[in-house]
Amino acid sequence: MTRPPQGGLVIVACLGDHCRGLAAMGGSGSSPANMHRPTHHVPTVSALPPLHSVPAAISLESVSKRYGSRTIVQDVSFTVDAGEIVGFLGPNGAGKTTTMRMIAGYTTASSGRILVAGHDMALHQVAAARHLGYLPETPPLYDVLEVGSYLRFVADVKGVPRGQMSAELERVAAACRLEAVMRREIYKLSKGYRQRVGLAQALLGDPDVLLLDEPTAGLDPGQIQETREVIRAAGERHAVLLSTHILPEVTMICRRVAIISQGRLLAIDTPEGLRSKAEESNRVHVLVEGAVEADLRQALAAVDGVEGVSLQAAGSDGRLLRAECLVRADSGVEARIARAVAARFELLRLERLQPTLENVFLRYVGDTTLDAHGAAERAAAA
Amino acid sequence: MRALLALYRKELLSYFRSPIAYFVVAVFLVGTGYFFLYNTFLTGNASMDETFQNMGILLVTLLPIVSMRLFTAEVNGKTMELLATLPFQPWQLVLGKYLGAVSILLIMTLGTAINLVPLVMYGNPELSTILSGYLGFVLLGMACLAIGQFFSALTQNQIVAALLTVVVVLGLWFVGHAQAFQSTPGMRALLSHLSFAIHYGGFIQGLVRSEAIAFYLAVTGIALVLNAGWLQWRR
Repeated sequence: MTRPPQGGLVIVACLGDHCRGLAAMGGSGSSPANMHRPTHHVPTVSALPPLHSVPAAISLESVSKRYGSRTIVQDVSFTVDAGEIVGFLGPNGAGKTTTMRMIAGYTTASSGRILVAGHDMALHQVAAARHLGYLPETPPLYDVLEVGSYLRFVADVKGVPRGQMSAELERVAAACRLEAVMRREIYKLSKGYRQRVGLAQALLGDPDVLLLDEPTAGLDPGQIQETREVIRAAGERHAVLLSTHILPEVTMICRRVAIISQGRLLAIDTPEGLRSKAEESNRVHVLVEGAVEADLRQALAAVDGVEGVSLQAAGSDGRLLRAECLVRADSGVEARIARAVAARFELLRLERLQPTLENVFLRYVGDTTLDAHGAAERAAAA
Repeated sequence: MRALLALYRKELLSYFRSPIAYFVVAVFLVGTGYFFLYNTFLTGNASMDETFQNMGILLVTLLPIVSMRLFTAEVNGKTMELLATLPFQPWQLVLGKYLGAVSILLIMTLGTAINLVPLVMYGNPELSTILSGYLGFVLLGMACLAIGQFFSALTQNQIVAALLTVVVVLGLWFVGHAQAFQSTPGMRALLSHLSFAIHYGGFIQGLVRSEAIAFYLAVTGIALVLNAGWLQWRR
């Protein structure tokens, strides 16, 4: 742990993701881990305008799923257009897999309406299934079959024309790098290969709608890269709904992101859109030496634009205090905080954190706990 | 139709790449061979009556082992999620899997035909009776498989599916014996109509009655329709 020179003033105003690298390099305290994780961001993909001229390939209208008295998915509505990849984010047990299963037709919705390629899943499931490629959470494989026989079975059921059968099998085998294992029994395959056979069956028949439940799970970094390229290519013409835990994956290949928690859709927007919404409640981190907790809290709470303060001791000798201020998104608040703190204590460090998608996600799904925490802090500060 | 055939082909491939089909066919043929030797050579009687009787009981106890995994294995292996989301009508799923199982039954049936060779060489059997016995045998097997397949869709546990099937199938086999305890003729007739064993006994004796054929086909049809209905309803 490096420590800035005593009495020195370091102000790091972070304006983007890359700044956190700087902050981390000069970082001195034990700030929350999620603040310092690297993120990758390719703005060009998600900056494309939405395609409203084409009817939505997937459309959910007030969809709910109940098992007895338990509600798994509640009143979820969104659409996915042809030519876009939508990332589906949510913690475990949020209702992602259940929603995917309803769109795929594995289970029916308790209420609401699901349209896939214009077909109502409740009425014309088989017609809709012809336009669907679905990779469930666990790849649905027949262990005793050879990869080739398995893919042929799926292609037959999907109605791939007989004359195009070998070409189609070759196409998906090449896309998923399965050429070497086409004649191998599936039970002999590694986890990565199993995942790719699962993806290959979803791609068969070039379906208009692709539902992929964690398609890169169990793959090594090279395979993840290749798989993303496959998904990206499919997403250029088709509608892809991609459930994932990997946040950089979302920023890299998804045009829009849907966040679901406890069965409710909390937000759906471009990654930039989500970030800018979350920006209204930016955070400023301050590291101070030689202050008493109550004094520092009072000083910070008195600053115009600061809406909440939380304090924790940093360092082992108890002389350092780390403050997290919830601030309004106006400029100049950092300067006001710096003046207020420097007037009475040693200000070692100040940084403004812009939300990463990770933070945005955590804010959405952890809203209830964060809100309670913030309210308590505000009450204590007042 | 193509989807149905693809499923049927997949079923056959799966059967012959797992030990269960070989095991069931082998046990059945060894058992049948033993009964045939015993009933024919030891008694010197050039007929299959007794052997068919024993084959029936053996079939009824062995087929639940074939049928128990039909849908349970799909659910436990997570492949039901594939089958249910591919463009299959429920009846295609039910029929494709069922025809696969019936193929195993037919292989078992054909395997016993080797017994006919010494019978024809050294005796003078009544071939029409034997054919009628085989017809009854296949119809009985088809009904048992349909019942077993329905139970394999009802539960996710293979053992439970097998036990339920054995209970129902053996119940239908022995229900004719309950006639002895009935005083009303109507009740006795009903029990005799429901009995797998009594209808089967007719076939063994060379009686091909439309009523018996209709009975087995009706049981098969009801079980398959219930199976398809259940798959549709459960979604």
